[in-house]
Amino acid sequence: MSVYKRANTPFELYEIDILNADDETLKRISEELGLNLSINEMKIIQDYFKKKGRNPYDIELQALGQAWSEHCCYKSSKYYLKQHLFGINSDYVISTKDDAGVVEFDDEYAYVVALESHNHPSAIEPYGGAATGIGGILRDVLCMGAQPIALIDPLFFGNLDIEHSTLPKGVKHPVYLLSGVVAGIRDYGNRVGIPTVAGMVFFDESYLTNCLVNVGCVGIVKKEKVIPSKAGGEGDIFILAGGATGRDGIHGVTFASAELSEKSEEERSAVQLGNPIMKEPLIHACLEIVESGLLTGMKDLGGGGLSCAVGEMAFSAGYGAEIWLEKVHLKERNMKPWEIWVSESQERMLLTVKPKDVDDVLYIFKKWDVPARVIGVVKGDKILRVYYKGYLIYEMDIEFVTSGVEYCRVYKKPETVEREEIRDIGNYKKILLKMLSHPNIASKEWIIRQYDHEVRASTVLKPLQGRIGREGHGDSAVVKPVDDSWKGIAITADVNPWMTKIDPFWGSASAFDEMVRNLVAVNSIPHSFADCLNFGNPEKPERMWEFVESVRAIGWMAKNYPLPCVSGNVSFYNESPYGSVAPTPTLMGIGIVEDIRRVITMYFKKRGSAIVVIGETNHEFGGSLYSVITGLKSSNVPKTNPEKLKNYASNLLDAFKRFKIYSCHDISEGGLAVALAEMAISSNIGFDVNLSFVELFSESNTRWVVEVSKRDANKLVEFFTDNSLKAKVIGFTDSELNYGSFSITIDEAEKSFKTGLSKYLG
Amino acid sequence: MEKDEIRIAVMRIEGTNCEDESVKAFKALGVYAETVHLKQFYSDFIKEEEMRTIWDYSCIVFPGGFSAGDYVRAGVIFSARLKSVLRKDLEEFIKEGYPVLGICNGFQILVELGALPGFDEDRPIADKPEMALSINDSNRFECRPTFLKHENKGKCIFTRRLKREIVVFPVAHAEGKVTFPMGREEEYLNTLKENDQIVFRYVDKDGNYAGYPWNPNGSYYNIAGICNVKGNVFGLMPHPERAIWKWQLYSDIDLLVENDFWELEGNNEADGLAIFRSIVEYLLKF
Repeated sequence: MSVYKRANTPFELYEIDILNADDETLKRISEELGLNLSINEMKIIQDYFKKKGRNPYDIELQALGQAWSEHCCYKSSKYYLKQHLFGINSDYVISTKDDAGVVEFDDEYAYVVALESHNHPSAIEPYGGAATGIGGILRDVLCMGAQPIALIDPLFFGNLDIEHSTLPKGVKHPVYLLSGVVAGIRDYGNRVGIPTVAGMVFFDESYLTNCLVNVGCVGIVKKEKVIPSKAGGEGDIFILAGGATGRDGIHGVTFASAELSEKSEEERSAVQLGNPIMKEPLIHACLEIVESGLLTGMKDLGGGGLSCAVGEMAFSAGYGAEIWLEKVHLKERNMKPWEIWVSESQERMLLTVKPKDVDDVLYIFKKWDVPARVIGVVKGDKILRVYYKGYLIYEMDIEFVTSGVEYCRVYKKPETVEREEIRDIGNYKKILLKMLSHPNIASKEWIIRQYDHEVRASTVLKPLQGRIGREGHGDSAVVKPVDDSWKGIAITADVNPWMTKIDPFWGSASAFDEMVRNLVAVNSIPHSFADCLNFGNPEKPERMWEFVESVRAIGWMAKNYPLPCVSGNVSFYNESPYGSVAPTPTLMGIGIVEDIRRVITMYFKKRGSAIVVIGETNHEFGGSLYSVITGLKSSNVPKTNPEKLKNYASNLLDAFKRFKIYSCHDISEGGLAVALAEMAISSNIGFDVNLSFVELFSESNTRWVVEVSKRDANKLVEFFTDNSLKAKVIGFTDSELNYGSFSITIDEAEKSFKTGLSKYLG
Repeated sequence: MEKDEIRIAVMRIEGTNCEDESVKAFKALGVYAETVHLKQFYSDFIKEEEMRTIWDYSCIVFPGGFSAGDYVRAGVIFSARLKSVLRKDLEEFIKEGYPVLGICNGFQILVELGALPGFDEDRPIADKPEMALSINDSNRFECRPTFLKHENKGKCIFTRRLKREIVVFPVAHAEGKVTFPMGREEEYLNTLKENDQIVFRYVDKDGNYAGYPWNPNGSYYNIAGICNVKGNVFGLMPHPERAIWKWQLYSDIDLLVENDFWELEGNNEADGLAIFRSIVEYLLKF
């Protein structure tokens, strides 16, 4: 006898016989319905319905599959996140519980931070996947009542020079993926009118079968207008606004919570479709409603669609809900109730409103041509009931559905061999030119110029800086969010997967260090950060070990700096039969610029000024560009220390106030050799220095290079040494790239830098 | 008119997205400006206090963005909607001498509407478009600072307060290549020149006419912006509202005296503000 029994309803609804099901059958049900739940999880559900004395309907099991997915309930990561990362609160953090972190900006305003992954969809359908990633992160910020002001896109792909013939079956070429992802971000971000101001692009073979697309967004909101992601109160009305609900994006979260395979292409329907021209007025309408004070709660519809949004809004508020599913406006006919309930169609927001304000809210949506419907009501008991055409088709305790499950997954350190092959093999000039043309270093202009990075007209520091026509990459972008204030927000995104691959602990600590360096380099005070943790399959102990090491390092750095982690996202299962991605804890740092007229850029300003290196250079080459270019291996990933980092950062920020510092750049990939070359290429001003092998290429953390007036140079060095910190004048700005033991013309360096990436992209 | 009589409308529909910064540019000069949804001119369900007519305003601005998604061709859908509900009013408005400005997508809209190049003073909105802003030669969206040479001899009312011959405004578009009917390019160019309708041309950092990337889209004759024959309708691809303050241009070295960022107080104005000031000055004498 079939376990699926058609219910006696004038629409398609099935009762699923789990009460009598054995393990084998439970497993089969989970697979056949695409629930992606384990046997144990199915048994918990079985017990629950045994107590209820009835079998569940399809819609109820589907809702549980969504709510209990890794993507929605963080079942593998929560235990370790709580242990290491949560609870680093500062008195200026307003909230970290909702869809995005809320942090005090000044007396009147708060900024809002969100960072997420959109990896699996982008690997299958790069254009749509990336575009809807942007759409989703915008909603996360918008639902806090905030105006989005900046987008950030850290991207990770396989190496661009791979031959088509060697691609594993079902895997798309990195050039195709990169072009598609960039086009998706461009067409969505540009159309909604939110500037894409920062990001990073990293190439490594481990991303060949699993590209990573992380998307971040920063918003600004008046503190008094922050909207909670929960239902207002009993009797409040649920309004669903925005795009119509369709079959696109069904099972998106369960798809994202499993490994990719060559068959993943068949799950294209799990990728949502984006429509920025619905999103743009939706943003305006929601913000107008926020401004008019007509809302009691708001949440975006992301993973899991209505099923997650309604559940989480009611659960967080301690209420229940009643939903009338036939009221939802649809893209297509004959959708089954469960499909409507879990669809992840884009551009939708769920609001709760006092009954008396419903008409005013609907008027505002109508004015903006945004469809909006009343779909339910907040109830006093903690039960969620869904009706369809008058039939009760869903009745479960909200707590049971929404609180999910939690695992303490086992982890195991993999066997590794310590190696140190790094040695001076000479040939500096050739190595440096190779570094400048490496796609991870080379100019990302081809990508960046396709993003509108200054719409809203409040971008102070753009992603490309320098003499017009020769620009290089800035350390952080800076936006000015409030009209009548000179305060600014600096934004950077950082991680070096070459380092985390060798040593997830020190690699992740290095990512934190680099994030702080980039924020400080533009003269901003590090204020908060968000993390997007992209890892492989957590059910494999060695993958889990990478995750735990990484979280432990970030927690250690953050606690002792201290810098609050205000928002985050975990993306597991970035793995295919060909292997896992390098551990990729993407960090998005936020800094406060006290006066945007004092921002500092990274390109040399004039000839004859002094060049000073701040910080200590050691023989640290693990995961370095030198190691990758020469093929000489090293396990010695650069170390760091949060107290030392803080000490250097505070003193440098202080030095910016005291001395005439013209430019500042952080030292990271390729070491000082590359940092100096970047400052010269983007200004057409060279330098005259004399550096040893280690000084040239080591990637030790906690270092900056600054350009300072000759007169102030010694005073600047003394300022640091007086505080027991290291600083050293290494030379002066001049006309060519003169490193002492070798020199290069600026044009030669520029050519490598400009063509290294663009030659693959046309 | 008096300063407090000036009312600027920045028009929006779904997908326009530079309206807020355009409003801010006028507000910085102390005049009233507001965003107005096209619906507020005709829709019957709009609340009375939100209903508008074109005669409520002394200047109309079409801002940048992707009106209606620009999925057909940039500006086509907005201009078609305008034609169906506001064409007569807008024609009268232009004839009366009120200023109409189109920035980026706004320029595309004015071209699709037939208001630019606007050779006929008596029929300021032509029946069909006479030029096009076609896809950039690079075939990509281009967001970059451009050097513009101001070449108008006085016809254009929007640049009369411009102090410098060469200014830097950023562009951000995929369709900005000024194109005239094939085979008649010279004829159009000569008419524009004779009428003093050419306003801005793309140049390189040394002020010379140059190709990509200085001319970011491949525009004919390096044209970046033109006005109509009367000088009161102006369209340009670059964004002056993104260059009204010096801090908006901090990323680009050539614009700043090296020590500028040490002077916190002092004049923060950049050249873009002059476009908006010219409108205000013109209206004050109107």
